Amino acid sequence: MQKEMAYSFPDEVLKHVFSFIQSDKDRNAVSLVCKSWYEIERWCRRKVFIGNCYAVSPRMVIRRFPEVRSIELKGKPHFADFNLVPDGWGGYVLQWIAEMAGAYPWLGEIRLKRMVVTDESLELIAKSFKNFKVLVLFSCEGFSTDGLAAIAASCKNLRELDLRESEVDDLSGHWLAQFPETCTSLVSLNISCLGSDEVSFSALERLVDRCPNLRSLQLNRAVTLDKIANILRRAPQLVDFGTGNYAAELQPDVFSNLAGAFSSCKELKSLSGFWDVVPAYLPALYSICPRLTSLNLSYATIQSPDLIKLVSHCPRLQRLLVLDYVEDSGLEELASSCKDLQELRVFPSDPFGVEPNVSLTEQGLVAVSLGCPKLQSVLYFCRRMSNAALVTIAQNCPNLTRFRLCIIEPKTPDYLTLDPLDAGFGAIVEHCKDLRRLSLSGLLTDHVFEYIGTYGKKLEMLSVAFAGDSDLGLHHVLSGCESLRKLEIRDCPFGDKALLANAAKLETMRSLWMSSCAVSFGACKLLGQKMPKLNVEVIDETEPPDSRPESYPVDKLYIYRSVAGPRFDMPPFVWSMDEAVKILH
Amino acid sequence: MGRPTSSSSSIDSPNHFAFSSTASSQRDLTTDLRLGLSISIAPPYVREQWPPMKAAVAEEEHECNCSTFYVKVYMEGIPIGRKLDLLAHESYYDLIRTLEHMFHTNIIWAEAEMDRDHYEKYHVLTYEDKEGDWMMVGDVPWEMFLSAVRRLKISKC
Repeated sequence: MQKEMAYSFPDEVLKHVFSFIQSDKDRNAVSLVCKSWYEIERWCRRKVFIGNCYAVSPRMVIRRFPEVRSIELKGKPHFADFNLVPDGWGGYVLQWIAEMAGAYPWLGEIRLKRMVVTDESLELIAKSFKNFKVLVLFSCEGFSTDGLAAIAASCKNLRELDLRESEVDDLSGHWLAQFPETCTSLVSLNISCLGSDEVSFSALERLVDRCPNLRSLQLNRAVTLDKIANILRRAPQLVDFGTGNYAAELQPDVFSNLAGAFSSCKELKSLSGFWDVVPAYLPALYSICPRLTSLNLSYATIQSPDLIKLVSHCPRLQRLLVLDYVEDSGLEELASSCKDLQELRVFPSDPFGVEPNVSLTEQGLVAVSLGCPKLQSVLYFCRRMSNAALVTIAQNCPNLTRFRLCIIEPKTPDYLTLDPLDAGFGAIVEHCKDLRRLSLSGLLTDHVFEYIGTYGKKLEMLSVAFAGDSDLGLHHVLSGCESLRKLEIRDCPFGDKALLANAAKLETMRSLWMSSCAVSFGACKLLGQKMPKLNVEVIDETEPPDSRPESYPVDKLYIYRSVAGPRFDMPPFVWSMDEAVKILH
Repeated sequence: MGRPTSSSSSIDSPNHFAFSSTASSQRDLTTDLRLGLSISIAPPYVREQWPPMKAAVAEEEHECNCSTFYVKVYMEGIPIGRKLDLLAHESYYDLIRTLEHMFHTNIIWAEAEMDRDHYEKYHVLTYEDKEGDWMMVGDVPWEMFLSAVRRLKISKC
């Protein structure tokens, strides 16, 4: 026996060291060092993130990590946001809650995205976790205000209740009154998604009154402008505020009351809401505009001149969400006023109109790329684009990490040259070496995918629609993009060849979605047979895929890696290609 | 490919509603023609579920009205819904007129008569009441309807 191994520390020391390691990637690396590190680490992991709720089962998570305090789960694929995933597809959280109720009595935080959450699930949460602190339901559905009442009533130390973009059956506003008088712990409350029924405003006021740590409050549209001042005066410590509807007849006393209330909020940095904006009330914000770092005007149907005036008062703006009413002129103003801008999202005011209703073109985005050197994240809806503009944007903003462009009419070419936009997007992936997320649009051939496969080495998520010529396009992406985790494709001529040739790649990714492409049922079955660690699911609402020839293309295909095997909660229109699951329909 | 935009089979023909002779004469024929033409020459893409945005972001511009009652309206086959202020209407007829214009179809409700040979050009209007039941629009007095309605649905015949 030569020397004592230096790393035989007592477990408590290792545990203490590990407690400083927060990132999942690092924790996973730690657990691979040796068996004893694996054991120690798994007992002290407190936070688990599960990007696909079907990739692993609740039992497996509980078995490996017995002392979890915080869990985050995601359910439906991203394209569910655009109604491509039929109702009833899945993503139910109940089973998770039921198993965690028994295993994690100290669970304090649940964050869910795109999952189906029933009132029963919420009631179970309320009953089971004595130290429950944080509930975030992002883009979820399936529950009503009754479920919320259960949470409000039982969770004595609730800190965060965030329902952003969820679909809630708004049965009555009285659930807010269920928060007991002893509840003073709220830090964040987001009820912006609630419907137009009356929110019990007096209950809300009393709640805000007794929660001195409230930092983030997003009201729903039913709350009228005249009520804002009351709320703000009760919570001058707010950092993040979402108004309800921002409309009223212009009355000087209402205006000055509102302006005064806003100016008393010295910490306010982020604003949203602004349904039904009456421009005359926007100057009430001017006193806080110099401090604003985030402004969400995506519901504000106001015209460019009013938007320009507002934005020019916000030199510290880092994040702006706005409708295309801002127009090129508004974006030029943004580019000259807001040098700290990091994120810009421009949404279409009239997405289904045939003719443009506003003067918003590629020029606006080019102006922002020139004027805002810190720009990292772009989501831009427009009606025309050119390769030249994209090249300019790429050269101006090499630090882009997210670039999502949606040219509204599918397969629109470069409006100047009528060429495909391959070269433009090619420039984006070539110059933006840290690009993690990309959405394509316009006329695109297989060449754009060649660029993406060659340069998109850090690309983690790619969204493709109405693009490409052949399987070669898909092959470039699957074989070239080393960091790819999520790929979603619709209406592209990609078939069996690229998919089968790159089957192994799919095990290194979270998921692949393909709809209205050319992948045959036979290829899906083959993939399901050969790749036991993948769940290959075919979605078809019209008829069973095996009622047609094997060479027939499937309507929708969702492939994801899983250690839990095929799921058993599939609706009749989802077929698993796993050999072990009989196709019985 | 293309939808006929002449009056014989279009949604303009006036003879299938008991009350509609005034309604159809107020219809904007040029809009219908233009839309009909653009749809007929558009490529055969799935017009639904595109462009890729969440429904909530594309809100309709409307007048500032402190007394409003917005309900969601969905048409069968179109996943992105619309919103409608019921209080901006005075009666069922008013509501039907708005909906026919918004969704470019003929609406069947409790007081409409339809041309049974061309049922494919019609849609039935129903509403969800506070008990979660789906009822045909028009049976109860307008004010009673306003107090009961939660959302509207326009389904194919």
